[in-house]
Amino acid sequence: MSITLQLLFTGLGIGSIYALVALGFVLIYRATNVVNFAQGDFSMIGAFLMVVFAVDMGLPYWLSAVIAIAAMAGFGILFNYGVYYPLRHRTFLPVVISTIGASILLQNGVLAAYGPHPQSLPAMLPFPGIAVGGVFLDSQYLLILAVTGAMVVLQYLFFERTMLGKKLQATSQDKEMASLLGIPVALMIGITFAYSAVLGGLAGILVAPLLFVSINMGSTIALKAFAASIIGGFGDVTGAIVGGLALGVVETFGAAYISVPYKDGFAFLVLFLFLMVRPQGVFGEKVAEKA
Amino acid sequence: MALLELISVTASYGAVDALNAVSLRVEEGEIVTLLGANGAGKTTTLRTISGLMKPRSGSIRFLGKEIAGASANSIVRLGLSHVPEGRRIFPGLTVRENILLGSSNRSRVPKAELDRDLDAAFGIFPDILKFADAPGWTLSGGQQQMVAVARGLMARPKLLMLDEPSLGLAPIIVQQVFRTIAAIRERGTTVLLVEQNAHMALSIADRGYVLETGRLIVEGPPATLLNNEEVRAAYLGGRVTAG
Ligand SMILES: Nc1ncnc2c1ncn2[C@@H]1O[C@H](COP(=O)(O)OP(=O)(O)O)[C@@H](O)[C@H]1O
Ligand SMILES: [Mg+2]
Repeated sequence: MSITLQLLFTGLGIGSIYALVALGFVLIYRATNVVNFAQGDFSMIGAFLMVVFAVDMGLPYWLSAVIAIAAMAGFGILFNYGVYYPLRHRTFLPVVISTIGASILLQNGVLAAYGPHPQSLPAMLPFPGIAVGGVFLDSQYLLILAVTGAMVVLQYLFFERTMLGKKLQATSQDKEMASLLGIPVALMIGITFAYSAVLGGLAGILVAPLLFVSINMGSTIALKAFAASIIGGFGDVTGAIVGGLALGVVETFGAAYISVPYKDGFAFLVLFLFLMVRPQGVFGEKVAEKA
Repeated sequence: MALLELISVTASYGAVDALNAVSLRVEEGEIVTLLGANGAGKTTTLRTISGLMKPRSGSIRFLGKEIAGASANSIVRLGLSHVPEGRRIFPGLTVRENILLGSSNRSRVPKAELDRDLDAAFGIFPDILKFADAPGWTLSGGQQQMVAVARGLMARPKLLMLDEPSLGLAPIIVQQVFRTIAAIRERGTTVLLVEQNAHMALSIADRGYVLETGRLIVEGPPATLLNNEEVRAAYLGGRVTAG
């Protein structure tokens, strides 16, 4: 029993990381109809910013995190204007290629600055964790779960309870109509990129102490997050969260009971099954058009 | 000075001309209707006025200000509201949210004022009040049309442009929509109404224009258009056989 709870705790923790990155995918996809192949690199950049502020400059951890997150918002806006905005009237493919190019540029830019050796970050909280019953709750995983939970609640309140949230939703549903109503569409898309970069950066900052900080750390996370968003129903916000958590749990149990080396394979096995059996995902196609 | 004036406006899709030297005007307080068959260029005219398309040449003046080529965003801020063809309700937002977003062109509106305008909108369309919290996609075509017009009115427009509001609606709903358009004008909003349903449109309009393959062919008060042989032949069903 306690081993099951232990695995569930770990799985939800890692699944939260996938969920944050998957949310970033989904929000950008909904606003622009484009899959951002540099989404994982947002996490990599966030983690490296922590290395810069907390390790190289020796700033306090919490301050480093605050600066890094603010910097990620600015980075998202720059990314919008450099990678998406000039191609916004083009079809899907040129924009996707632009994001792939951005991903290569970001990884090699960081490689040039930091070299190929992975960096490491210490855990964020000053205690290793707490034992509850027979389950050890690692402090970093607790932090991941708490921050992800808070983000999900804040995001819900923002999108459902504020006029700006409604304008962002309107923009993602019909850009031309939004502009006819006087909603500044380009600004809305800029805000979406900023927020998605914050989500991705946050995931990178939170997961960094568990992994090494390396230039390709974002690729694996992004692949899992992408799989999670398809399992959840691509384009669906709730689906991204549920898909991310589910994937984290499945691969943690798979690694424990079946095979550690094939850990990454379980995610794609689940993805494969979904594509075969329910390609629209768990929450897909809720919105239908009516005459 | 006319509220809206188009002078020799030309617009095209790539190499294909959709509007050819279109000149028209709308005076304050009028209902003006723009008639024409499918593909005549009615929608293109409205899209060019509201900034969704850039004219190739010509002048568009609203309140005396040149707006040709300005962004849709800046044009609606001047008080020119376009309710487009096909209603375009945001499917994932509720009816109330859809209507509230119609005020996006006004800056810093106090909450109390928004609530008053929202109440007024539901006052004009009491039938959609009970769907206020339903998502847009669940409504019928007629209900969506009411939401679209209510959303357009939330902009507090000086000129409301409606693109085929009767399209696809049951006859009884069509009558209701036209009565509402007349009532909207009574409250002081000028209306430019695009229609294929010429009889209905002319029954409430002060003046009309007829568009044929991108050119205006006749203009005048309803009686003139109703008696014009070309118009009768093309849009009102049946030629008046002389003698
Ligand atoms: N997006 C488009 N691309 C190319 N041609 C178009 C487009 N939209 C409309 N047209 C053409 O422009 C002409 C005018 O269309 P439109 O303004 O929609 O007419 P109406 O609203 O009177 O039915 C038609 O010949 C139509 O085929
Ligand atoms: Mg049309």
